[in-house]
Amino acid sequence: MKHSQLKEIIKKKASKIEFAIVTNLENGLSEIYEPGKSLSKEFVIHKEQIDNFFKLKKNGVIENTEIFIETYIRPIKVIIVGAVHIAQYLVDFAKSLNFEISIIDPRGYFASEQRFPDMKIINKWPDEAFKEIETNENSALIALTHDPKIDDPALQHAINKKFYYIGALGSKKTHENRCQRLKEAGFNSDQINSIHGPIGIKLGGRSAPEIALSIIAQLVSETYKK
Amino acid sequence: MKNSFDEKILEEANDWLNANQKVVLATVIQTWGSSPRQVGSRMIVNETGDFSGSVSGGCVESAVVRECIGLIKDNKPCKKIEFKVSNESAWEVGLACGGEIAVYLEQIN
Repeated sequence: MKHSQLKEIIKKKASKIEFAIVTNLENGLSEIYEPGKSLSKEFVIHKEQIDNFFKLKKNGVIENTEIFIETYIRPIKVIIVGAVHIAQYLVDFAKSLNFEISIIDPRGYFASEQRFPDMKIINKWPDEAFKEIETNENSALIALTHDPKIDDPALQHAINKKFYYIGALGSKKTHENRCQRLKEAGFNSDQINSIHGPIGIKLGGRSAPEIALSIIAQLVSETYKK
Repeated sequence: MKNSFDEKILEEANDWLNANQKVVLATVIQTWGSSPRQVGSRMIVNETGDFSGSVSGGCVESAVVRECIGLIKDNKPCKKIEFKVSNESAWEVGLACGGEIAVYLEQIN
């Protein structure tokens, strides 16, 4: 592989474009492929199989050939509501796990740049903030403020958009009250039960990094269940 | 759903190249049986044998490093190597887990 091609791959990854690297294992030739775009003479005869690997988000060698395909997919979007202490540790974990984090917090004093360097924080109420983030059933929500004014609109958005993971911080009692409010707002029990509350796997930890670890563990587990 | 699987090895390869090191990229391209790392797992090796990332659980990395240095010395663009189950009684490199893997090595230049 040429260094220039490596740089192009890194650039594509950073811009969150879905693509594949196709390599001929015999002669070492490789190229970057994006669905809908053309392939060179070297690889065009394998286009159908390459598209198939791409559809299945699969890496591997095409059967009976020496053509290897590696697909790059977009990182999963995780929206954190509440730029609180736990969120600072979640940002660290998410980086190594390749989740794409957005943080929403209308409270300016929490969402300062000093607390979250190199991190874009949306300093708006959830209803407004979600207009800036494209979300779908492959998105996840971690609600951390346990303030109904901030968490509830975000939870409602996540339920309506069928996020694959929704978690909300708070004690059992806090969660019961939350469920009651959502019921009164017209959500059914399946929708309400889709919320992981209290959030996180049972780890027993109490500190902010420990709670962040239990949340991120649950998020990873739910990601692979789907 | 599959999470995007990315250990930032390519970014590190770029840093090494920018520091004028020679870099070989090793990628797991096929696995059979219970292999420790999935297809697409990567490691990089430079001409002095420094390496980052992994293609197994530490079982075959030393052999991969040797092969990568050889590739740089012979100035070859690429090579495919396979590792099979290790023989416990012999001092050889292999996969103790009983799996088999194929690793593709390519020089970046």
